[in-house]
Amino acid sequence: MENIYYPRQAKLKNIKEETPNIKTYRFKLDKKLKFKAGQFMQVTVPGVGEAPFTPSSAPGDVSEMEISIMKTGKVTDKLHDEAKVGDTLALRGPFGKGYPIDKFKGKEVLVVGGGVGLAPLRSLIYALFDRLEKVKKVHICYGAKSPADQCFKDEYREWENKEKVSVNITIDKPHPEWKGDVGLVTSLLEKDYLNKMKVDIANSYVVSCGPEVMLKFVTFKLLDVGFKPEQIYLSMNRRMNCGVGKCARCNIGPYYLCKDGPDMCYADIKDYPNVFG
Amino acid sequence: MNICFLSESKLKDLMSVLFGYGRVFASTETEVTSSRSSEARIFVRELNKEYVTGYRIPGFRTFDNFKSFVLPPRAKVADYPDDKWIDIKEGKDRKVLVGLKACDLVSFAMLDKVFLDDTDFIDPFYKKRRESLILVSSDCTYSSDNCFCNLMGNYPYALKGFDINLSEIEGGYLIESGSDLGDKIIEELSLPDAKENQILERDKKRKKVLEKLQKTNSEFEKAFVRPDSLASGAFDSDAGWNLGNTCVSCSACTNVCPVCYCFTLFDREGKKKEQYERYMVWDSCQFKGFSQMAGGMNPRFSKMRQFKNRYYHKFFRFYERYKLYKCTGCGRCIDNCLGGIDMREVLSGAESQVKVK
Repeated sequence: MENIYYPRQAKLKNIKEETPNIKTYRFKLDKKLKFKAGQFMQVTVPGVGEAPFTPSSAPGDVSEMEISIMKTGKVTDKLHDEAKVGDTLALRGPFGKGYPIDKFKGKEVLVVGGGVGLAPLRSLIYALFDRLEKVKKVHICYGAKSPADQCFKDEYREWENKEKVSVNITIDKPHPEWKGDVGLVTSLLEKDYLNKMKVDIANSYVVSCGPEVMLKFVTFKLLDVGFKPEQIYLSMNRRMNCGVGKCARCNIGPYYLCKDGPDMCYADIKDYPNVFG
Repeated sequence: MNICFLSESKLKDLMSVLFGYGRVFASTETEVTSSRSSEARIFVRELNKEYVTGYRIPGFRTFDNFKSFVLPPRAKVADYPDDKWIDIKEGKDRKVLVGLKACDLVSFAMLDKVFLDDTDFIDPFYKKRRESLILVSSDCTYSSDNCFCNLMGNYPYALKGFDINLSEIEGGYLIESGSDLGDKIIEELSLPDAKENQILERDKKRKKVLEKLQKTNSEFEKAFVRPDSLASGAFDSDAGWNLGNTCVSCSACTNVCPVCYCFTLFDREGKKKEQYERYMVWDSCQFKGFSQMAGGMNPRFSKMRQFKNRYYHKFFRFYERYKLYKCTGCGRCIDNCLGGIDMREVLSGAESQVKVK
């Protein structure tokens, strides 16, 4: 019988600094594993503990995966401060349901990210690129604090050059090096901006990931401009400890995000208490 | 298999048969003395084979609970990276639990839902421990003011979930099997069938305890008429939850609760170099850190949210997932609450806030 708590070994093959506090770790797995965009892994720093992260690399049957991680707690501090290429860490997963990518057939997809929230969405972006013929359009909307805080910035051009794909980026405050849009990510969802992107609201889905407070205002903005709760998918974040729906702390309403999410349709969760913290 | 009669003098024979299956842990009445008082308390104790003659089964549930037999307060769940470690194969060494009450049996059925019946992820350690148990239950012969199993749809006597059940009557016990193993054990004792008047006596005794319970809890009955989960609306505001203000977040309720199973995984360095250990340890939703995330965000940041979460889990979330309240009505949380919080009163208050359509 399988031990659901045992983490498999994974070797650090590469570490790339995305921003001053976000690094992308490339893991070589001890055996192939299949994951869907949006599913998450429990990353173990041996002897320190585990924390949940959604891979940022392309999904599928993989022997390597990338996970982009922000330095923000006990496990991630250790990872950022001490992990080096060649080190052996451990992984458990994949867990969760993943994004409902089949629903996006023939639809426009708005991918709305904030800060390190672009990491899980990058996995979705690759999955969508892989089936561009099946979707109508992909609008990538991303907000970061400053140009220095943007993840994956060397890839935006490549994304933008794809047919059917638009990339829209904003930073929170004006910055001398920045010539693009300024404002919170919600400013990219204003009616005028959506018109400029030629978004067909009735025929779209939105997938968003970022800090919970951002998800809250993204959701309210989307509802305001005419999206229905059924069209909105949110990567909800709660403390996911066991990953298998047992330890009972990552719930929204009756759902355990680790098992039933972490991406939830807003229509399913909106009536439960404290959805946004 | 028929219900048989086990005379009082033959209880030791049953016990010695049970010792043949493994270590025996039994509900045991013990005198607890302090400088101020002396009172009888019922605890779970391992019985010694040599001293089993004077053993009597208490008529009331234990002060502590039996969940440690399936979910120990601390249990190693992984050695890594080297996993030639914990034996999760079928356990040969069995444990016999004696003197469980109906509420204790129900608690196992609830825990099974999470750790065993969810076939996506079966907890192999729980499975092993659970399957190693032999459950010998007994009827309650009395109840306390804090018992409310009847409000949770249970009875002070077991109808299922046991291998063997004992019902105290004049001169001994009626003994009933609930499994193949129970059949086998009772057969070994070659006992006479129970007489009709003995069964009537049992039923009368059962009814008496149940009626007492119903009387104790009659004032709360109204709050429990809802046939489904406690409505989500009961949790929307803090109105009706004012009893939570006396909560001191000590976690006594979650520790003594036979079905509070929330845990955390904890890693540390192992004994060998570059070898690590992972433990599953009891956690409590009454602690502020329970849902605290890296970066500071905490969806249950206030004591009131932590307090309400326990009820939300028991009477809403668990019901929505498994069509069952995650509460046996044993009343241990009431016995042990420093703030004097009575779950029945809390639920009545919360329920009063729900606008019935």
